[in-house]
Amino acid sequence: MATSHDSLGLTAQQAGLARCGHCGALHRLSAESQCRLCGASVRSRKPNSLQRTWAFLIVGLMAYIPANLYPIMLTTSFSGNTSDTILSGVISLAQSGSVFVALVVFVASVVIPVAKFVIIAGLALSLHFRWAMSENKRHVLHTITELIGRWSMIDVFVVAVLAALIQLGAILTIEPGVGINAFALSVVFTMFSATSLDPRLIWDGVDRGE
Amino acid sequence: MNNKPRRKIPFDELIACASCDWLHFRPIIEPGSRASCARCGHELYTRKPFSIDRTLAAALAGLIFLGLSLSLPFLSLSSGGISSSISVLDAVGALWDSNMRWLGLMSLAMIALLPTLRLALLVWVMLRLRFRLGVKHSMRVAMRWADWMEPWAMAEIFMVGVVVSLVKVSDLATLTVGPAFWSLLGLILTTSLISIFLCKDSVWQLLTTRSA
Repeated sequence: MATSHDSLGLTAQQAGLARCGHCGALHRLSAESQCRLCGASVRSRKPNSLQRTWAFLIVGLMAYIPANLYPIMLTTSFSGNTSDTILSGVISLAQSGSVFVALVVFVASVVIPVAKFVIIAGLALSLHFRWAMSENKRHVLHTITELIGRWSMIDVFVVAVLAALIQLGAILTIEPGVGINAFALSVVFTMFSATSLDPRLIWDGVDRGE
Repeated sequence: MNNKPRRKIPFDELIACASCDWLHFRPIIEPGSRASCARCGHELYTRKPFSIDRTLAAALAGLIFLGLSLSLPFLSLSSGGISSSISVLDAVGALWDSNMRWLGLMSLAMIALLPTLRLALLVWVMLRLRFRLGVKHSMRVAMRWADWMEPWAMAEIFMVGVVVSLVKVSDLATLTVGPAFWSLLGLILTTSLISIFLCKDSVWQLLTTRSA
């Protein structure tokens, strides 16, 4: 553990330094725009972090609506055609007795996306209006959203595998539905949204003495 | 650069927290331990024993598993006398054939291209470091790309999707898992081993100090 003895008592920005986001090399503020070590562009804070976060979040949210309304999977069989949305897929899984797997899909496709929308919007609002919230709590929330977002892609891969596998002609055929397009877009854009939010902004409030 | 600094800043002895920007002197830590930010507790860096050797081994194994996963059949099913067998790439092809080409391409990147490229870059950098072949600037670019690709390489998420699909069709037909299924499992194991073994800060230190 680093003790307070090792800390300089100020941020890199206050010391006139900027940290490369990829390799961690320190640079003089505004002296270099490209990292001398790895070549990435060096910025003290991600530029327009909040605007980008909101833009990506809103697109993600907009895509999430058709993702839930339109079918993600079309099943054609001799006994008739059915289509599944995200929720009806979860329900039919649960009814067939696979409660645990239904729960996994529900968490990946519903709980994680909705939680991400709420958490990212909350964090962005808290930064915008400078709410008095614990920095540590917000830091943890931000780390969680960055880690869990990618797991929402499960449903996309399920549809892809089933559509490839279940091609039994007239007996049973599964095809991907348009909803899965919107869902994949939603996941990708909320991932962009989470990475656009610069966690250092959370702590800058402390440095301003708030 | 006319504005010469009044005092030389000891860049190599300082480290800033990636999460809150708090500046620290690099604490000297023992192998196998980690240094955390004094303000937010986020990891500053780690020192892992035999990091290069172990990462190299895991990345090489991962590359082999990935090659097997992509070339062998991984699921087959039979129902009413009809049987079909698919490879990982067929799942991507199913999206492509249903007029969802961008989604097919994106899945191809997430399941196959990005994991392969990331493992290959890691193997190359680790090999050169391990056998002291000298530091090239392209190795730093490779490490930066490997870092960037990490969240978008989703082979393990694909695997969970496969297991869910298995459960979904288990009452419709008889399913058999092929060899690629097991090598995908191996790939997930080696990918998590890489995240355990890889000590990014040590690699960057090596890439800094051994510069040509």
